[in-house]
Amino acid sequence: MPPSIHPVDLIASLRQKHLTPAIVFLTSRRACDEAMESFDHADIVLPPARQDAIAAALERVIAQYPSVAEHPLIPTVQRIGVAAHHAGHLPSWKIAIEELMRQGCLDAVFATTTLAAGVDFPARTVVITQSSIRKARDFTDLTVGEVQQIAGRAGRRGKDQVGFAVVTPSPYIDLGVLTKGLTGHPESIDSQFAISYAMVLNLLKAHPHEQIQGILAKSFAQFQLNRRAESLERKLDTLHVQMEPFGPRVCTDWITQWQTFDQVRRQRPQRHQVHRQESPELSARFHFMTPGRVVGLTRGRGIVLRQYRSKGQKNPMISVLRPDGAVTECPATTVADIFDRVFDCEETSAFPWCSAAAFDELCYQLTELPTRLPILPILVPKDSEPLSDAIVQSMGDFPCPTCPSRPACQKDFTIAHRLRQEQHRHIKSIQALRASLWHRFQERVEVLQKFGYLSPSSQLTEDGEWARLIRIDHSLLITELIRAEAFTGADPALLTGIMASIAHDDDRPGAFPRISTGLSSLLGQVRKLAESLSPYEDPPLLRADVAALAERWIADPNLTWIGLCRLTTMAEGDIYRLLARTLEFLSQIHTLRATHPGLADSASKAIALIRRGVLEELP
Amino acid sequence: MTTDELEQLLAQQPVAVLHRLARGRVHRHFRAGKRRLIELLLQHSSQNLAGLESDLQTLIAERQPPAQPARSPGRAAGRAPAPPSKQPLPGGGEPGIGEPAVSLAAWLEGLGVPAPQPFVPDPWQNEALRALDDSDVVVSVPTGSGKTYVAVEAARRAMEDNRTVIYTSPLKALSNTKFTEFSRIFGSDKVGILTGDRQENGQAPLLIMTTEILRNLLYDAASGEIDVRLDTLGLVILDESQYLADPERGVVWEETIIFCPSQARLLLLSASIGNPQDIADWLSSIRTTPCRLVRHSKRTVPLRAGYLHPNGKLVPLFKTAAIPHGHPTHLHPEAKRLFIEYEEETLPSGRPRR
Repeated sequence: MPPSIHPVDLIASLRQKHLTPAIVFLTSRRACDEAMESFDHADIVLPPARQDAIAAALERVIAQYPSVAEHPLIPTVQRIGVAAHHAGHLPSWKIAIEELMRQGCLDAVFATTTLAAGVDFPARTVVITQSSIRKARDFTDLTVGEVQQIAGRAGRRGKDQVGFAVVTPSPYIDLGVLTKGLTGHPESIDSQFAISYAMVLNLLKAHPHEQIQGILAKSFAQFQLNRRAESLERKLDTLHVQMEPFGPRVCTDWITQWQTFDQVRRQRPQRHQVHRQESPELSARFHFMTPGRVVGLTRGRGIVLRQYRSKGQKNPMISVLRPDGAVTECPATTVADIFDRVFDCEETSAFPWCSAAAFDELCYQLTELPTRLPILPILVPKDSEPLSDAIVQSMGDFPCPTCPSRPACQKDFTIAHRLRQEQHRHIKSIQALRASLWHRFQERVEVLQKFGYLSPSSQLTEDGEWARLIRIDHSLLITELIRAEAFTGADPALLTGIMASIAHDDDRPGAFPRISTGLSSLLGQVRKLAESLSPYEDPPLLRADVAALAERWIADPNLTWIGLCRLTTMAEGDIYRLLARTLEFLSQIHTLRATHPGLADSASKAIALIRRGVLEELP
Repeated sequence: MTTDELEQLLAQQPVAVLHRLARGRVHRHFRAGKRRLIELLLQHSSQNLAGLESDLQTLIAERQPPAQPARSPGRAAGRAPAPPSKQPLPGGGEPGIGEPAVSLAAWLEGLGVPAPQPFVPDPWQNEALRALDDSDVVVSVPTGSGKTYVAVEAARRAMEDNRTVIYTSPLKALSNTKFTEFSRIFGSDKVGILTGDRQENGQAPLLIMTTEILRNLLYDAASGEIDVRLDTLGLVILDESQYLADPERGVVWEETIIFCPSQARLLLLSASIGNPQDIADWLSSIRTTPCRLVRHSKRTVPLRAGYLHPNGKLVPLFKTAAIPHGHPTHLHPEAKRLFIEYEEETLPSGRPRR
């Protein structure tokens, strides 16, 4: 089975079911062009009467827009009644196709999904072949709104009783996305409010700094932020209600109180973990097993050489000198008696834990000991609880251990603590939501002050006064270029080249063989400046090939449109859009005629030179 | 078609046709003889009678000489008044008894050109125009419902009161189309256009521009460079205002609305969006005039969804002829089967889709 239906078969089956005229949305421009090519040898030609009707309609359009006449697709359009309509075509061609579609001459139009919003003509049927759309170099699933916008083209008012949206599978399709899109409820839209440098300058020109917060508060962004803040506030209120049963205790802020108390309490046992295992007798007696002390073990007696704690379990241990001269390690628990007799013992850090002389001396003393020795009386604290004692001692600051509401606090703490954390989080985000736009505005103001467009008191400086008239993308780069006098003495062609490279935001490849040295060095400067401005403004692509293309169009007034198109691999429609956008940028520069007469003059010359050929013919 | 009829029809077919029909429906059909195959297909038909029938008809039609394409199911309901088919096979027109899914013929029914009717504005269009007398209006209706009519009528009424009207659209191409259209309606001396690269008839009472241009005009007015056109401004129409959510350009719509002079009415025309009430509430909150929302979700021309298989077979996409709103899983069993078949055949096994 083919991965997707062949365009010829598609049109044939649509015709057979009387589902024409149709708009077929394809993935890419290339897919549209290939679909058109596949009709080259197709035999599904229209009857002569309809072919004549198309020819007549085309002639009427050509009379208005002569550039349509040489379009390579015209034979196919006439013969089969299908056409391609995408951003790679000139606007005149698109107008022609739209006109033919409106008159009902065509059976199908192949269009790209990317341009679905710009396809402003209805048909009986819409064919959908994909469920994703190219957005910023990446494919993302169509949203419900987009699917409905595409499907919405089906069904012409007054010409159709029913419209049809036909899904046909291709490797780019996920049926789930489309069925959800067709049956679903469109998404909510969110504000995309962004504060640009031009906006800051224009606002500060018209309004004093203090009023701006009020103006920003009128934006849909702030409206939606407030909505979110309000919903958070409602949550906060319910949290307050939930907190009520936990209120008032002996201390004012019992949650914090208990939290710190609890933390300290948790840390305590860890430090004393070892001792908790020991019986009170043992810990009392262990203090007396000092080096030189005579102790009674289960078998015979010995002299303590050192006391220590075992490595893993930290059991209290002693090293004992036995009467036969051996040194044994035994746990303190095996000590039966502690005698009231201590010898001097010069301790050392290594085996046998005392100096050699002391060792011999102790061996001798041990054999000489009398059979009966007095036992050391050791008092063991019987009824005291060392654990809580320790806490009470170390936590003198905390009232909790003796507080009457302690059991209640202990029980409620986890829930109350969670609620309080949520409360704090909400309060913080509400503050952030209420003030975020203003903060962003202030950030921009600081940057503009740094560059000298605004005075420290947020008044427009001389530079600011003219810079506010540049209200396009990359305005900071353009105004900085003007201030750096990069365009001084630059002829209209150079200016156009630079503006084109700033204006062009498409990354489709397009080759151009030569770039003049003047333009390339100027473009190098622009790149350097854009790089240095990148912390404050995203740098444009600054492509050399589009700059060269635009420059050539201005520099060579004899260059025809066809000649220009031959110089590059870019599609006609892309070149047109590039020049049209450049024109817009130049007309912004032209508004600076009061302060920069030379530059504005150069811009107006460039504008006059751009408007020729195809660009003049079109609206 | 009853089961008996179907059985008879199947019995008339050669076994090769039955095997093709059984493909994807009956497990290991190639082992069955003709009688067994018919049995199995009849068993299957209890699940999806419509699909089986339409497939059978296609297969029969393929076997007929191609000189008679009149038997294709679409033709039965086509705009030409086709004579009723005399073939033993019914055209699949009547949905079978207890059949859950819509048949192709029923789905295609109504295809064609309606009888010419005098234009009568829809209730929502009248509502929007009435509301515009004393408030701002947000219109959110599906694509192709006739927003332009509202724009044209509103502009006409405002111009009769000697007020300036500004109409903005997001794309230059759309502005140009509207310029041509409005010039035809109001006369070319009444309509002007201002875009980044085109300025014509800039003092006309109805001005078409891109939203960016209007924003710039409003900024200039705010900083003291008074434009006479803004003094008499009576109506601002923002077409395609769902662009408010455009990541790059959405801000321009907000600026325009914030700085729109208070004496001018605002008319926001938008495709269907999820939260039009929010936008109306926002306008009410920042402007002196209240704002009304006119919302309408039913399409003027009803929409149906179909599924076209790469082999040229057309079936309805959903069980019902109309689109089942809120039920994306109510697929036509035949469309579902074909799509699964498509995926199995085109995609290497074990690889995730996409």
